[in-house]
Amino acid sequence: MEEALVRAVLFGTPMLLASLGALLSERGGVVNLGVEGMMALSALAAFAAALEAGPVWGVLCGVGVGSLLGLFLGVFAVFLRANQFVAGLALAALGLGASGLLGKRYEGTPLPDPLPEGVLAGLALILALGLHLLLSRTRYGLYLRSVGENPKAADLFGVSVDGVRYLALALGGGMIGLAGAYLSLAYRPSWTDGMTSGLGWVAIALVILAGWQPLRAVLGAYFFGLLFFLQFRLQGSVPIPSEAFAAMPYLLVILVLALSGRARAPKALGQPFDRGR
Amino acid sequence: MRRILGLLLLALGLAWAQGDKLKACFIYVGPIGDAGWTYAHDQGRKKAEAALPWLETRYVESVPEAQALPVIDRFVREGCQVIFATSFGYMEAVLEGAKKYPNVIFAHATGVKRAPNVATYMADFYQVYYLNGLAAGALSKTGKVGYVAAFPIPEVKRHINAFTLGVRAVNPKAQVLVRWINAWYDPAKAREATEALLAQGADVFAFTEDTPTVIQTAAKKGAYSFGHYTPMLKFAPDHVVSGQIVHWDVIYIDFLKKVKEGVYTAKNLQNVDYFWLLQHKAVEMGADYGVPINPKHVPLLQKAEMTVGGKKVSVYDRIMSLLKDMQSPKPTFDPFTGPIQDRKGVVRIPAGKKATLQELLTMEWAAPGVVGDWPGEPK
Amino acid sequence: MRWELDPSPSPWKVFLAYSLFVALALLLLGLLFRLYGVSPLKAYGLLLSPLGDSLGLAEVGRRTIPLLLIGAGLALAFRVGFFNIGAEGQLLMGAVGGTYVALFLPPGPWTLPLMFLLGGGLGAVWSGLAAWLRVRFGANEILTTLMQNYLVYYLVVYLVAGPWKGQMVFGFLYTDRFPPEAQLPRLGDTLVHWPTLLLGIAAALGLQLLLFRTPLGFEWRVLGENPEAARYLGLKGGRLILLAALLSGFLAGLAGVGEVAGIHLRLLEPAQISLGYGFTAILVAWLARGRPLWALFTAPLLGLILAGGDALKLALSMPFRVVDVVAGLLLLSLIGAEALSQRRLVWRR
Repeated sequence: MEEALVRAVLFGTPMLLASLGALLSERGGVVNLGVEGMMALSALAAFAAALEAGPVWGVLCGVGVGSLLGLFLGVFAVFLRANQFVAGLALAALGLGASGLLGKRYEGTPLPDPLPEGVLAGLALILALGLHLLLSRTRYGLYLRSVGENPKAADLFGVSVDGVRYLALALGGGMIGLAGAYLSLAYRPSWTDGMTSGLGWVAIALVILAGWQPLRAVLGAYFFGLLFFLQFRLQGSVPIPSEAFAAMPYLLVILVLALSGRARAPKALGQPFDRGR
Repeated sequence: MRRILGLLLLALGLAWAQGDKLKACFIYVGPIGDAGWTYAHDQGRKKAEAALPWLETRYVESVPEAQALPVIDRFVREGCQVIFATSFGYMEAVLEGAKKYPNVIFAHATGVKRAPNVATYMADFYQVYYLNGLAAGALSKTGKVGYVAAFPIPEVKRHINAFTLGVRAVNPKAQVLVRWINAWYDPAKAREATEALLAQGADVFAFTEDTPTVIQTAAKKGAYSFGHYTPMLKFAPDHVVSGQIVHWDVIYIDFLKKVKEGVYTAKNLQNVDYFWLLQHKAVEMGADYGVPINPKHVPLLQKAEMTVGGKKVSVYDRIMSLLKDMQSPKPTFDPFTGPIQDRKGVVRIPAGKKATLQELLTMEWAAPGVVGDWPGEPK
Repeated sequence: MRWELDPSPSPWKVFLAYSLFVALALLLLGLLFRLYGVSPLKAYGLLLSPLGDSLGLAEVGRRTIPLLLIGAGLALAFRVGFFNIGAEGQLLMGAVGGTYVALFLPPGPWTLPLMFLLGGGLGAVWSGLAAWLRVRFGANEILTTLMQNYLVYYLVVYLVAGPWKGQMVFGFLYTDRFPPEAQLPRLGDTLVHWPTLLLGIAAALGLQLLLFRTPLGFEWRVLGENPEAARYLGLKGGRLILLAALLSGFLAGLAGVGEVAGIHLRLLEPAQISLGYGFTAILVAWLARGRPLWALFTAPLLGLILAGGDALKLALSMPFRVVDVVAGLLLLSLIGAEALSQRRLVWRR
């Protein structure tokens, strides 16, 4: 039993980190569908840096690349006020593609000193709590929430809508970068094309499942991690085909969503903010 | 006169020796990556190209089955004379392509249907898995060996069975716990499946998946493992005991040489089927090239004992003597020698017989000692 | 100096904006190719090469078929406000339905139509389920349809590894080959299964008519543009969403039948069937700006990008990821151009 809980936490951590990052920008009204690509590119950057200069630099690099990619999304979503959904999808494709191309030379090299997973798992929990406090207790959090719900009003009050969003994207991107770094430095200390295995998409789904609230994201991520682990733990012990077990986590997410009532998205989510509209 | 003749002969000789370059093109089913099926084929291609100066190669990676035929069309247009299709799923495309282009030579990996210009080839591990199983049975303290498996096809089942037969030969009470991840490449699933098996007490691991994830995960908890497909010792130098290593280049070089020499033409491949094993050097038992058993583990294996024919022998000696036998030109031992029952008690290989090639290629049953889900298990 | 919305941009500006961004994208791509050691011009040529010969055109055509069917349906669904991310799963459901008819019902002249009906029907039901969950429980369809994709994926694996595994496939994960009555005719010796293409064209035309020339279409458009107004007008939002979902799922299911009856002639590993069409079709729909008819142009366009990427892969032995990079950059440039063209710089004194 406790093994299952440990696995739930350790496997849930990258999803938690990524969903926290996406959640942050979405609370500000910017949809981020590019998580998968951001994670992939950050994972590669973290791995490459760790090979050269050690795991700490690896983490820093991963976070840095993630932030930059977040800002890159901001160029399209905030500055150009383009369609956020498609910009995110394009970023996902670009990130996956670029990491695959650039990462060729790193394939097949194990990382000599990987990061202990527990450290980052603990950090993820702290970040979740921090994010919760940020959103509910700080002035920036207030600005962010107002920008996400009613940017026009926030603008009238003198809040820089664009500035708030950029910051959210940069911070959120950093967390997504951390998720990528976790994958390539701790979870499976090496680099392979496609190693994000769709976790970025799950993270996006988790944001919705968590109702855009950081503490619920913790539960959601660990729940998903638990189910993912259980599919192998229970395989063979119960007369259910292995494919049914593999499908279990996803089915349960649907059930939870159906039972938990209407998920409240930030009202201005996905809409570019244009003054004078 | 003689001078002119000599020059003429020299010119002819040069022209002949330079020859045309033979162009061989490879269709890969997945990305080349860092380990696994496609990586091994690409290594084979590279080695063949290095060894044969008249060989020119091209490849395409990640070709879905729907695209195999168009890729064949393109390759033929670019002048490929030999096309290697490295996945069972390309079978229909290969056969159609062969009909369309009767002068092009095709070779289909893991294929079962041939034609005048289509040969099939395979390098199989079942003997190596048996030897790995002997070592696993000797090293497991809990008597539980873990196997993380991709898809329930006969090739994988054959390997698990050979492995289990080996494990049980050393420890008749041992169990091989199998977990299916339903993917050829999925590090996350491989990781979690390994963790699940560790939680159930498995302390030695083998697997079929395209990454060293299982090895890395097992090593974290101190469990031993066997590399798969390519040398994986470097991923856990203290915990990788041995493994299965493939040498596709052995087959590629042999095949291409015969094509170049005219032994194989586009008309006589109907019966050309490579099912190459240890004796052909197409596969190797080892944690790394030339390292059959990790020296760290040799003393343990020498101390462990097993009963063979009523007598006690050291597991290490048994492994090495069987290895020597199966690598020799005329091997006498085969892991699938009867009497063998499956785990339900049905006799699958009668006493005194060895499994035929057909039986090997269509194996669906599970050996005694295999514990877990087994899709497609015969009633 | 400020950036603000331009309500009526001049065609010149639009053209300029698009040219600027496409040039930027080409520049970046060129840089990428250079880094890889390939001449950019050669690479561009390869990207467009499928247009140059019948083989390439057939490759574009093969991809256009499912993209058109699904894209037209998604153009409708997105327009109405039902963000169907589950086309991959609905396509697979269609494949499952088609396979059932092909392998388990007695074959005859009714086989192909029945395959399309059942396959489309299953796709519709699958999509409708997500719509129902939204209307009844408020469950966000982006999430549910995404999760549903995984469910169908594993269903197909279960079927081909277990109850539907073929007798003559040596244990590999395939069903047996479909009987001839269940195979779609193809164009020449290419893989272009033209009946499905005709279905796609009919769908694009039909949906366009439905959306712009019928009262139902009017209601759909109002709902999509202004849900508040729709409520005010007493439109039954739930039913409209459900209908749009059913239609788009039906079309995706048809595409799935097309794939198994026209290309593979059996059911196999799901990743080999859907090939990302469900997601690429999202781009087809978006580029079509909510007009199903425009899918007739955007589907082949995306088909060309995919085929061109593959030509790059083949000719230069580039890794398969190059297709993602090309698609990603082009897409970013397109939306950047769109955004740029709809805004103007205002100088303040």
